[in-house]
Amino acid sequence: MAYAYLFKYIIIGDTGVGKSCLLLQFTDKRFQPVHDLTIGVEFGARMITIDGKQIKLQIWDTAGQESFRSITRSYYRGAAGALLVYDITRRDTFNHLTTWLEDARQHSNSNMVIMLIGNKSDLESRREVKKEEGEAFAREHGLIFMETSAKTASNVEEAFINTAKEIYEKIQEGVFDINNEANGIKIGPNHPTTASTLTAGIQTPLTRSGIDKNEVTTLLDLDEDHGVVIFKFAAI
Amino acid sequence: MSDSEATAAAAAAESPEATPGSEDVSPAETPDSSSPTPPDTLTDVAPTRRARRRPEPKPAEEVKEAPKVEEQPAKTPSETTVAQGGWGYWGSWGKSIISSATATVATVGQGLTQVIEKAETSLGIPSPTELSARVEEEEKQEGEAAACETRTETDRATGEGSAAMESAMGMLSSLTSVVQNTGKTVITGGLDALEFIGKKTMDVIAEGDPGFKKTKGLMNRNATLSQVLREAKEREELQTAETEGSDSEKKAVAHYGMLFDEFQGLSHLEALEILSRESESKVKSVLTTLSGDELVQLREELELIKDSFSLFLEFDDEEVDERKDEDGTEFETELTEALEGLSVNATADKLNKACKSACSQITEMSKPAKEEGEEESEEDAQKALSVEEVHAAAIRTLAELTARSIELFHKLAEMILFSNGSPEAGALSQLTVVLCKEISLLSKKFTSCLTTTGSNEKGDVLNPLITGVFLEASNSASYIQDAFQLLMPILEISHIQRRSESSEQ
Repeated sequence: MAYAYLFKYIIIGDTGVGKSCLLLQFTDKRFQPVHDLTIGVEFGARMITIDGKQIKLQIWDTAGQESFRSITRSYYRGAAGALLVYDITRRDTFNHLTTWLEDARQHSNSNMVIMLIGNKSDLESRREVKKEEGEAFAREHGLIFMETSAKTASNVEEAFINTAKEIYEKIQEGVFDINNEANGIKIGPNHPTTASTLTAGIQTPLTRSGIDKNEVTTLLDLDEDHGVVIFKFAAI
Repeated sequence: MSDSEATAAAAAAESPEATPGSEDVSPAETPDSSSPTPPDTLTDVAPTRRARRRPEPKPAEEVKEAPKVEEQPAKTPSETTVAQGGWGYWGSWGKSIISSATATVATVGQGLTQVIEKAETSLGIPSPTELSARVEEEEKQEGEAAACETRTETDRATGEGSAAMESAMGMLSSLTSVVQNTGKTVITGGLDALEFIGKKTMDVIAEGDPGFKKTKGLMNRNATLSQVLREAKEREELQTAETEGSDSEKKAVAHYGMLFDEFQGLSHLEALEILSRESESKVKSVLTTLSGDELVQLREELELIKDSFSLFLEFDDEEVDERKDEDGTEFETELTEALEGLSVNATADKLNKACKSACSQITEMSKPAKEEGEEESEEDAQKALSVEEVHAAAIRTLAELTARSIELFHKLAEMILFSNGSPEAGALSQLTVVLCKEISLLSKKFTSCLTTTGSNEKGDVLNPLITGVFLEASNSASYIQDAFQLLMPILEISHIQRRSESSEQ
């Protein structure tokens, strides 16, 4: 139950590309060929393990319909990861990617990890978008890329988990300030915090309080229950 | 709790030998140590509090000063005043946070009163022995607090220069203490019965939160409803993790917050809050673009919407008794009426299902209890559900219904923004009444189940369970009412949009 981190994801893309099906496959391991049109946003959650740590993914599955766009945009903010989905059997869904990407970049934080997904890879005979095209688009825009099939479950796990791995790495590198929830990351209630992740995350408060990070010499104690960190400061 | 006890002990052991410059005890937190621990505090809570009163990172200037001040421990009174002045400032700041958090609970209003009355007459009041044990505990802690006072003196001196300091970390630590302090005052000021009932609520708000201490408090000065709930859930998760390891004999306890999250109640609430906040700021920005008569007129129109939200009729608990609604069909009819023309059928279906399954559970539970009354054989008693199981079913039902209700409000908000067709605020408040009534009715049914099932149980087993159901029911009702309030800015912006559309035509 307890998790080390919680990542907020959004799934975006044209209507009918299989966003809700991807989510259902990931959370419930089943496929539902006929799916109700999503209104606004629906939710799913699942626990995964990365680097021996339990991570809870809280997934916001948005409506693809153009008319819902103004509402769903509101939900982008505060997401750590986004799955941008198109349908490999419908070229128009691929052509709309630029709009989706602009929208996502504009309404979310700049560090958000975006995974481009070409869904319905099981329908090879009806393919309209080559895999290479997807790869090229991803390369050009700095996205991760995968082709999936929500029907056969091919690459579905990988798509969600690889996105989480990327976010996790960014946390380790200190790119994400884990104490700022606007980044879509929350530290779990019972987090076996390591000194390294905490020093990375503590940068902002230290900067804000006018302390040079280098003055913090020793990490004295951690109060994990309450998120209190005790540092020893070098005498100046 | 063993962890925090250990760290608390470690912190206490560290502080006397603290050498200048190496460790700095936050001065802002010291007033906490002088106030007595409230009698209702469970013994396992107190060490946690002490654990929080630990050194915090401080700006470098202050550390530089520390050695100087400690050489002259006989500080002047003015220094103390300065230090306390700084503390007082943050105090009021922190109080506003806690008061907004308490507001959520306070809206329970009569629900809570009812719980208290019930508790006073029959339930859940600690026996005199319990109370006296607590008083002893309190005295013991006061002694410890006095011991702390000694080091407090030096701490205050150390903090001389820090009164004006507004470091992020320092502020956070003071905030933490204030939250605790305010919590204490509220609790200590009440009757014993109120303390006992209120403790859980206060715990959830003041104690349960690791997050209050983090940047959350900084970023978001208003504790939102989802925040309060999330914090409660986190605390439960923490407790579960602890009991899993140490106390396996204990049966799985029903945790409202965790269940509420499982039914995606938290997510829907968060999304609803986002829409509400955005609509609110849109309304504000529209108002700034207007002037003169236009502004006056729009203000008047918005005032009308606001009025219908503040005129929300408190539902009368006593009326609920008159309703039977064995299988939930009455609820379904009322819900359908309230939702007429609001096009959120899918979500309403989920609510109806949840309600029907609750009703059938209650019917099921009531059966074996009746048989038991006729012939009390050992086997029958074993077959029948335990009080813990009935309690768990009750909590689960309340959590599910509340989550579904909030989902309904969220979907309504989306549909209003989507279609720009705005329902009457009156219809929405009627809907809120229907939902709250149902929560109240079900909690009464469940507690009567508990009473019959637990007729052979001792009061100290049964009473806390009954109290728990009433408490979560009143919490549920207040969460639903708060979610209803979140719809107000959405109706306002929708009104503004419809208005501008019609003027364009």
